[in-house]
Amino acid sequence: MTLYQPSTAGLTHYLFFTGKGGVGKTTMATATAVQLADAGKQVMIVSTDPASNLQDVFETKLTNQPQPIPGVTGLDAANFDPIVAANEYRESVVGPYRGVLPDAAIQNMSEQLSGSCTVEIASFNEFAKFLTDPTIDQKYDYIIFDTAPTGHALRMLQLPSAWSNYLDQNHEGASCLGQLAGLGDQKATYEKAVATLNDGMLTTLLLVTRPQRASLVETRRAADELAQIGMTNQKLIINGVLEEPTDEPSQNIYDRQQADLENMPEKLKQLPVAEVPLRAYNIMGLDNIRTLLQDQQPVIKVQPVNQADFPSIDSVVADLLKTKKKIIFTMGKGGVGKTTVAVQLAKKLAAHQKTVHLATTDPADHLSLFQIDDPAITVSHIDEQQVLKAYQNEVLSKAKQTMSADDVDYIAEDLRSPCTQEIAVFRAFAEVVAQNDSEVVIIDTAPTGHTLLLLNSTENYAEEVKRTTGEVPQSVLDLLPRLQDASQTEIITVTLPETTPIYESLRLNDDLDRAKMPHKWWIVNQSLLATRTTNPVLQARANSETQWIEKVKSVSKGHYAVEKWQPNFEKINLTV
Amino acid sequence: MKKIEIFEPAMCCPAGLCGPSVDQNLVRLTAITRSVNHSHKAMIVRRNLAQNPNAFVRNQQVAKLLKTDGMSCLPITMVDGVVKKKGVYPTDAEINAYVGAAAKVNQ
Repeated sequence: MTLYQPSTAGLTHYLFFTGKGGVGKTTMATATAVQLADAGKQVMIVSTDPASNLQDVFETKLTNQPQPIPGVTGLDAANFDPIVAANEYRESVVGPYRGVLPDAAIQNMSEQLSGSCTVEIASFNEFAKFLTDPTIDQKYDYIIFDTAPTGHALRMLQLPSAWSNYLDQNHEGASCLGQLAGLGDQKATYEKAVATLNDGMLTTLLLVTRPQRASLVETRRAADELAQIGMTNQKLIINGVLEEPTDEPSQNIYDRQQADLENMPEKLKQLPVAEVPLRAYNIMGLDNIRTLLQDQQPVIKVQPVNQADFPSIDSVVADLLKTKKKIIFTMGKGGVGKTTVAVQLAKKLAAHQKTVHLATTDPADHLSLFQIDDPAITVSHIDEQQVLKAYQNEVLSKAKQTMSADDVDYIAEDLRSPCTQEIAVFRAFAEVVAQNDSEVVIIDTAPTGHTLLLLNSTENYAEEVKRTTGEVPQSVLDLLPRLQDASQTEIITVTLPETTPIYESLRLNDDLDRAKMPHKWWIVNQSLLATRTTNPVLQARANSETQWIEKVKSVSKGHYAVEKWQPNFEKINLTV
Repeated sequence: MKKIEIFEPAMCCPAGLCGPSVDQNLVRLTAITRSVNHSHKAMIVRRNLAQNPNAFVRNQQVAKLLKTDGMSCLPITMVDGVVKKKGVYPTDAEINAYVGAAAKVNQ
């Protein structure tokens, strides 16, 4: 395989790095920017990293205006946090009405502007600024973004009815895009931004993935989605390939990675592929950034690993038993191992004479791994795609009876929003939780606080207004108060000991707090530190985990557990 | 020309897709609004609290109702400045009655 080399990779004027949290997008974007600038090019890097890694790397306070980076001639950097952008947008809408409109109205407005749609659109707005500014275009040879806009945001903007009906007049209601009502005058800016994204001569999409099955599958999905909306100039970067195994944990990781790469989805194999090896140092500081993509690597310094003992998942189980929890969710972003944790909890609770129902949303290709021997455990499967499709069809068939084709398209796009997916899955949760056959129900995904708040307001609304249509299913009504009841429900945060997954988890926790949903325990999954590896490359990674495990320990007030990385963990842990 | 204003609670989507079930009322209202407005003989304006809060402040009747009745007064339907309905959306028949024979909508 070839080492990723930005200067010879045939890169275009605009570069977008994309990939799930924790794959190393920001690192790849930064290394690319520094290498190109060192080669004498004028480069700007725009980061959307809420953790502001870039500020630490460059030791410079960044804002959403480009500024020069000391130590790298020709490089300017800017940083915007999409959450902050969304908050600023929300505050600009809601703020002037505090104390003017009643509190209930203010609350209603705030919640509706707190969803992922607002974040997506608010960040696209920032992208559009950078993509269409003629000064930026002329000043720089390369303009590098460490994130790509979502397919949902892009599709919204490409629908003709988005502009003709909703932004120009906005008389016929709101939508995901209605979040930006009043920005209709930016139509030309948005059109130009979208056209630039879709021009393969101008724009390259760099898909960053880990050499792991789940990450590769997710990357394929993202590649498809962005290709469909026109971003067809794509390249694949596989980040973190382990090169020289020296002990058992490293051999296991090596074998696993090689097998997963062998079975990489065909679509990805057809793209230009480059690799970046797992390095024996943290990618912090300019020196390491510069070294990352070089053939010649410094001699590895063996670093003694902090051999701390961490609490295991058993302490979580003991507490769940003691407090007699009946509904347990494992919550976290994709790829953190929610399902494996849920299965382990089910097995351990069953070992303590509990009857357990395990509901999983894991994609169907995993189902063959669920071998149920224990009569105390029953398993059911919530197929998110199917649940969503059923919901979409239900809505569309109603919409088609009364709406024009343009409007139906619009509704169809709304139905692909993240909110809609959450709601559709939530309805399926309600069915599972309503069953009374088992003492404990474990679900390997959790509703976000935002979903609950949307439903909650609808519930009150339904009560007060006694609407005759749009009935809320009884199981959903029953679920809301149960989920907020800490005496029977626990939402366990599952995360990885890395920057981005930790920040994503903290954000999910904020959401839960807003919705008053009980969450106490954190589980740090796939820890290399806990494997006690002696491989120098892995030791460097393991040492960098310490600060994040400490962070979890403090955030959770000591209610945490650390699970070590295991070879074939899916196979082992998904067997019930 | 008759002007119907509907003051609605804050919503993500015009058809209420983000609720726990589809609100047929909102899908229906989206459709009838479109056909009334295309007739150019009457006008329906929907005001969403999340997108156009100023309308809720500027209109003194609406502002007053919000203060006294709270959120349950929404949606409020006004025809040429007169409150016709609150707490529930108007039916198609009611909308037809408001706009008068001139802009009657096929159902």
